[in-house]
Amino acid sequence: MSSPCPCCRPDITPAIPRRRGGGRSLARKTADSVARAVTDVLQNEELAALPGLLQRLDPRIKLLTLGLFAVTASLVHSVWVLIALIGVTIVLAAASRVGVGSFERKVWLSAGLLAFLVAAPSALRVFTPGTVVVPLGPFSLTEPGLMGVATLVTRVVASAGFALLVVWTMRWSDLLKALSAMRLPDVVVATLAMTQKQILTLLRTVEQIHLARESRTLTRGSARADRAWVTERMAFVVRKSMKTADDVYDAMLSRGFTGAMPSLVRLRMRPRDWAWSAASVALCAAILYVDRMVGP
Amino acid sequence: MDIVAMHIPDGYLGPQTYVILWIVMIPIWAIAARKVKRTLKAKQIPLLALGAAFSFIIMMFNVPVIGGSTGHAVGATLIAIILGPWAAVIAISIALVIQAGLFGDGGITALGANCFNMAVVAPFVGYYLYRFISGDAPSSRRRVVAAGIGAYVALVAAAIVAGIMFGIQPYIAHTASGQALYAPYKLGVAVPAMALEHLLFFGWVEAIATMGIVAALAKSEPELLQMKPAAKPLRWLWAGMAVLILLTPIGVLAPGTAWGEWGGEELDSLVGYVPANLEKVGGLWKAAMPDYATPGVSNTMLGYLIAAIVGAALCVGIGWGVGALLARRRGGEVGSAAEASPDPPAAQAG
Repeated sequence: MSSPCPCCRPDITPAIPRRRGGGRSLARKTADSVARAVTDVLQNEELAALPGLLQRLDPRIKLLTLGLFAVTASLVHSVWVLIALIGVTIVLAAASRVGVGSFERKVWLSAGLLAFLVAAPSALRVFTPGTVVVPLGPFSLTEPGLMGVATLVTRVVASAGFALLVVWTMRWSDLLKALSAMRLPDVVVATLAMTQKQILTLLRTVEQIHLARESRTLTRGSARADRAWVTERMAFVVRKSMKTADDVYDAMLSRGFTGAMPSLVRLRMRPRDWAWSAASVALCAAILYVDRMVGP
Repeated sequence: MDIVAMHIPDGYLGPQTYVILWIVMIPIWAIAARKVKRTLKAKQIPLLALGAAFSFIIMMFNVPVIGGSTGHAVGATLIAIILGPWAAVIAISIALVIQAGLFGDGGITALGANCFNMAVVAPFVGYYLYRFISGDAPSSRRRVVAAGIGAYVALVAAAIVAGIMFGIQPYIAHTASGQALYAPYKLGVAVPAMALEHLLFFGWVEAIATMGIVAALAKSEPELLQMKPAAKPLRWLWAGMAVLILLTPIGVLAPGTAWGEWGGEELDSLVGYVPANLEKVGGLWKAAMPDYATPGVSNTMLGYLIAAIVGAALCVGIGWGVGALLARRRGGEVGSAAEASPDPPAAQAG
């Protein structure tokens, strides 16, 4: 398993004890969310290196087939078929050894819960007229309203599941290889690669800025002072970004960069990639056929 | 309270919408790549990468607003001011791809829609409004105010476009019984809901962050705020406004009244009575163009269009007035500073 180089791995252990009384300070909150983002990236890379079903596939095929499943989820009308698609994501997560519990928790908490909260009021008669199934006076719930909520939530969860499988089973470098092999301009792929590295570097800077403030602050400041401090630090990140861009460009020139970017990506399809492609296309076609048979 | 930025996840938009937005985005990316290549040349990769990294990082900062609440800025207007609007299209799109591909934030099918809202609508509206208000030779204060107004309006505009995307779903995809297949709220609910939360909260977060950063940069790195040579004076702002005005009759598609904007009669039919105070004050203000109808014009679509033109003209006039007022004040300050200075600048330098 290859892990990111040690210099890119920030110290994500909170070094400063939590402030007594009250919640987290602004600096601590931001430092924690930055640390969480970096941890997510590192964990995704570790999951993508496991010897599971999806991890072994050619990255192009993985990207295209999971994209096909996401498009299929958007075309399905029946709640029951959407629930079956959620089942497909669970089977794929299990076969890819990414941990079904954490996979489902992530999908339902980050996407399903939000979709439910957004859609729930649409079940009221005032928004969706139709046959009342739960009579609650002005808050009566209708059958098409409830079915609409169920359809949206299951569709969002199924789609988020396929998107999360891409993130959890594909290393960032493999995704770039797939994009390059799919004829995305090299300049775009190179920019994506550089952006990912710069994001990790800047995240580390942002985390250090906030931990430094946390460690030097005894009392909580006013919102106005906090705003001034935050926007000053954002401006610092702008300046640092622009200066780093100049430095990186100078470094590229000093290493002989002429503007040409020959692609070194050589991907080869293996029998299992062909088999998986055929199985995915057949499964999606079968899902759409069944949906047309049983769907509303 | 912690509130995250605007992303449309997969599942909320039907294929009729997201496929069109992917098709719309492809030529926009191609034009942006050509323009960026012409203006930034070989330096484009590190500059765009750092611009994209910055537009990702800015969303990590918690900006304090009121009552202990914090929000995240999108930074679209700021990126457009620093890199130019076309480079901002690429930089923000790349940041959105990384958010979707690396962090699972946003979706696969909705990526085109998210890029259209946050990487096209927001930077173009924000940038050209900034240019319009700040003028040709802006003072620092005028730049800060222009950036704040640009950022606020840009985010609200992007939210309204997202609201339109959500709001048309029930019309184009539903079952025979009226069950919604994608986003369930019609235009009359989706657009005001999206607009309101951005008018009241997210827009202010965006404006506060953008103003603070522009103020700090104006002091330390004013060259970063220089107008980009690729920008054509206001042409795109006018073109964008014309397109939006032409699209306003979409509002006629929405039956009923926007959520929460009911009059006495509608409230009576919905809940069975009219609150006493609402009845008392409901008729105090007589609008010149009630319900966006133009007096004397019987065609609803035409009336809507005329109302849009009148509203846009009023907004442009007010913006122009604010800009002119700030310019006059700045002129006065420069004049008094010149009177107070004993030596001309050349003599001071010498």
